[in-house]
Amino acid sequence: MVRIFFHRLVVALIRFGAAGMALLVLIELSFCVIGDSDRHVWLRDSYGPVPAELSDKGVSWGGLVHDRMSATLPVLGLCLSGVFLVGYNWGVLGARLRRFHAARLLSAAFSAFACLPGFWFVVMVAIYSYFHWQRPGFANDVVVEEGPDLLSWWNACILALPAMAAAVGWQIRAVSGVLERELSRPYVRGLFASGYSDEDIFYSNVFRRSLPSLLALSDRTIPALTGSLIFEYAFRYPGMGSLLVESVLLQNYGGIIASSLWMMGWVSIFVLIKDCTVRFLKPDWTS
Amino acid sequence: MTNRRQSKVTRTTRSFLARLWQMRRVLLLIIPYLILFGWLFSGGSRMDVRPGEIYAVPGNPAWESPDKEHWFGTTGNGADLFELSRLAMASSVSVAVVSVSLGIGLALLVTMLFVFDGGKKRFEMLNAASRAGFLMPSMAVLVIFTGGSGGSLVMAISGLIFVIAFHLCPVLTAWFDEGEGGFDVLASYALGLTRREIVMNRILPKVLRRLIGVFAVLVPVVVLVEMALSFMGLTGDRLSCGAMIAYGQVLIIEAPWMAIYPGILASLVVMVLSLLGWRVSAALRTGNIPGIF
Repeated sequence: MVRIFFHRLVVALIRFGAAGMALLVLIELSFCVIGDSDRHVWLRDSYGPVPAELSDKGVSWGGLVHDRMSATLPVLGLCLSGVFLVGYNWGVLGARLRRFHAARLLSAAFSAFACLPGFWFVVMVAIYSYFHWQRPGFANDVVVEEGPDLLSWWNACILALPAMAAAVGWQIRAVSGVLERELSRPYVRGLFASGYSDEDIFYSNVFRRSLPSLLALSDRTIPALTGSLIFEYAFRYPGMGSLLVESVLLQNYGGIIASSLWMMGWVSIFVLIKDCTVRFLKPDWTS
Repeated sequence: MTNRRQSKVTRTTRSFLARLWQMRRVLLLIIPYLILFGWLFSGGSRMDVRPGEIYAVPGNPAWESPDKEHWFGTTGNGADLFELSRLAMASSVSVAVVSVSLGIGLALLVTMLFVFDGGKKRFEMLNAASRAGFLMPSMAVLVIFTGGSGGSLVMAISGLIFVIAFHLCPVLTAWFDEGEGGFDVLASYALGLTRREIVMNRILPKVLRRLIGVFAVLVPVVVLVEMALSFMGLTGDRLSCGAMIAYGQVLIIEAPWMAIYPGILASLVVMVLSLLGWRVSAALRTGNIPGIF
């Protein structure tokens, strides 16, 4: 297990480094080669202190990232819980009730919700809050200074909903697809002919055998989820997603690199955990 | 006894009709696509409309809330919002169709560079690049690329093409690998056909058939992405539902319909495109495509 962990850690670090280099190339290409900026990524002058537009508290880059990260973590936490709990449970249920096309039915609501533009949804919530509840709509309108800060959780939920909708729909279909493929194998028919019950075949054989493949799906939605954090900008939520968009609009490399590396770090961690778990269960696994 | 061999014309016609019958579900789905696209593009393309101008509020605004005459209400200078939203959606759908087509084409081109090599590890380099690039969220890449390069439509389309191609390459490599295992391919090898003949006549047609499903599924997703980019002002000053919502949210108190109704139309169009995409994908057995955005 230790050997597998260190092996995957080295691979993850190499990939993270490669992705980081690609990020620098992307910034240089878009801002300097295609755009008309003369501030190259390798020049020290291109990175200054935190501009006042990003934070009016006069904090350092570390402080800014800490503040933004604390705001984004609840959103990401809600998204991930939704994707893993709903996606996996409903996916298994969809495969179990496959004769009723349950996977399609269960994912339909999420897929339909994913058709709404996420930025429009959060703006609509802001308008509704303003007109019907007579309270400020956008996330930066009011700050709770005393008592439990339920408002920040409400804001996090509003952002998590559109971000996780498409991911949950995809996860349900993918989990169900993996199980249904396993169910179509010849040994399942053999077990059925031998007198095994449906439940026994499904949970004790099919589910157990397809566990590595199911776990391998766990990181597929993470990049899309972290990418959806840019809807924070539409809701004026001070998180890492809005830091990326604001930094791009201000042409501030420090903010772009900090927020992008943070997103890539999250994806790397999930890929590492997935790789270790899957290889622990099935050492000859190939992605 | 008469010779029963059919003429070449009869055989060709029969096989053509048989192929049409096999594709009847997909062909039926073309009708709603034509209706939707016909409705969207019936007013022509108006690329010269600037959202900044139509959402400008004059001293004495002539806006009207939604009624029977103007379903979505009007803007400050009296322009019909429904008509503008339809034009905006036509523009977004055009961008999506162009980006997805070229993205799929580029992905196929890149994959085809490696396909003719018969080695087991022919896709190793492509897959390694894809595993490292997977760490970077596509939306973040698009925001950086379009924002850094000045925020124009051409850059947005270029970014979309690159991102789509990058994420489709591993999918295509998997499909080519899958195609290699077919009985017909093994039989072709046994018969002594060349690798080029096998790839071009046996494996590629199966992959190409699935690409239609990929196109149908990706178009609504890219419409949403394009609208998100235009909401952030990264696709230039041109009509798009995203830009309309961005301008409309400033007028939340005076004219809330300006932000609400373009979004409703956008959601409906994306929903219809998604439903059609899923049906096309199911009819062609494309399979579950990994989420790119």
